[in-house]
Amino acid sequence: MMKWIIPFLLSSTLLAQNKATDEKVVGLFYFLPILGHVHQSPEKTSASMTTIQCSHPVKVIESSKVIINEAWAYVEVADYRGFIRKEFLSEKRPDCFQGRYPNFFDGLNLDLSELYYWGRLYDQYIQVETRVR
Amino acid sequence: MINIFKSKLAFASLILPLMVFGNEIKLQEEKELEVVNFNSIKKVLQEDGLSQQAINKKKEVEKLKVEKAKISAQRNLYPQEEDMWGFLTEYFLVKNAQLLNWDYQKPEYGIDQSFKELLEKLGFYQKKLKILVLNTPSIHRGILPGAHKEDIYLISLPFMRALDLSKLEISLLLLEDFFRSEEGMVRSRIKTKSFDEITGSSIKGKIDQNFLKEMMGKYDSSLKTGYSFQQQFEITKKMDSYLKAHPDLWNTYFRLLRKLNDFTKGNNLYKNYINLYPSPEMQIKWLTPEKKVL
Repeated sequence: MMKWIIPFLLSSTLLAQNKATDEKVVGLFYFLPILGHVHQSPEKTSASMTTIQCSHPVKVIESSKVIINEAWAYVEVADYRGFIRKEFLSEKRPDCFQGRYPNFFDGLNLDLSELYYWGRLYDQYIQVETRVR
Repeated sequence: MINIFKSKLAFASLILPLMVFGNEIKLQEEKELEVVNFNSIKKVLQEDGLSQQAINKKKEVEKLKVEKAKISAQRNLYPQEEDMWGFLTEYFLVKNAQLLNWDYQKPEYGIDQSFKELLEKLGFYQKKLKILVLNTPSIHRGILPGAHKEDIYLISLPFMRALDLSKLEISLLLLEDFFRSEEGMVRSRIKTKSFDEITGSSIKGKIDQNFLKEMMGKYDSSLKTGYSFQQQFEITKKMDSYLKAHPDLWNTYFRLLRKLNDFTKGNNLYKNYINLYPSPEMQIKWLTPEKKVL
């Protein structure tokens, strides 16, 4: 019996170590748009795992097991692990609309579907920015 | 005799350390007293420039207090004009998400790169804007005001497909809207008297729902009523003057207007396009060089 248990314990410890060394926390970032989604996969239209608000802290993770396009970040928000576009993340806490006008924003009483669509809006925009002369 | 000497020595060995230690304790107390002495602190503080720092700190705290008071007063305000434009446009898009049908899977059309190149070619730098592709034939195209002049351009996917528009042709249509925004035609069509009154004012009780309703109505009608002949003439002439320096672009624009003219006349679904953007036929006429009679 011991013959089987010891190798099993050893291999599980090794696996745990592997998992720990595979992942690295890049840093803590803040969400920029008014509302947005943590996506299931790194695609604009992929399903939403959770909706987050501007200034929400987001832990960016680097993992050898998750290979994604440069435009996307692999993130951890509360109990969820998903994907957010890098352009929506900031190292500094942003000056949010709902932070500037909290009574106005709260007074709108947006329902769940409106919150969902507001988040989707930023994923669907095609952004154009011309260069500095 | 020896005994007397010994006893003196023992006495001296006991007394001497006491005297020495007694002196040290005193010195320490003196030091402590010096430290507690405010005048000596003041001198040290002045020498280190710390008293100036304390004054600066006090001023900083005063400033922060003023800022804090401002922020807490702003908490109960309606957004300022620029914030209000951005907010209302997105509120309208969210409220009409199902009708405008913008939340769907779409490929990368490359419009962003094409429009960016066009704007830069014509000398428009440091411009920021957003494009939203709608999956509905009911709205062909349009432009809505964004925060800090970052306007939102709407264009319908069925419209683009029906006309088989190239990236450059789409960019030229967006350029017309860009000029409309530059001419102040976009905001003036939506702005109401209550917009001016409410922006930046304080919220009395609950949010004014009538204001929101009125603005949503204005947004809706701005996409359905279109532009006047005079406004179209001004935009067409502006397009003409900017594109003339680039004959390839001018020719593409001219061909696009012909395409639009033929398409809108022969397609019932898009007939109201002429009412919104009057009219491709007139635009062609305005662009066509006058024939000289010899």
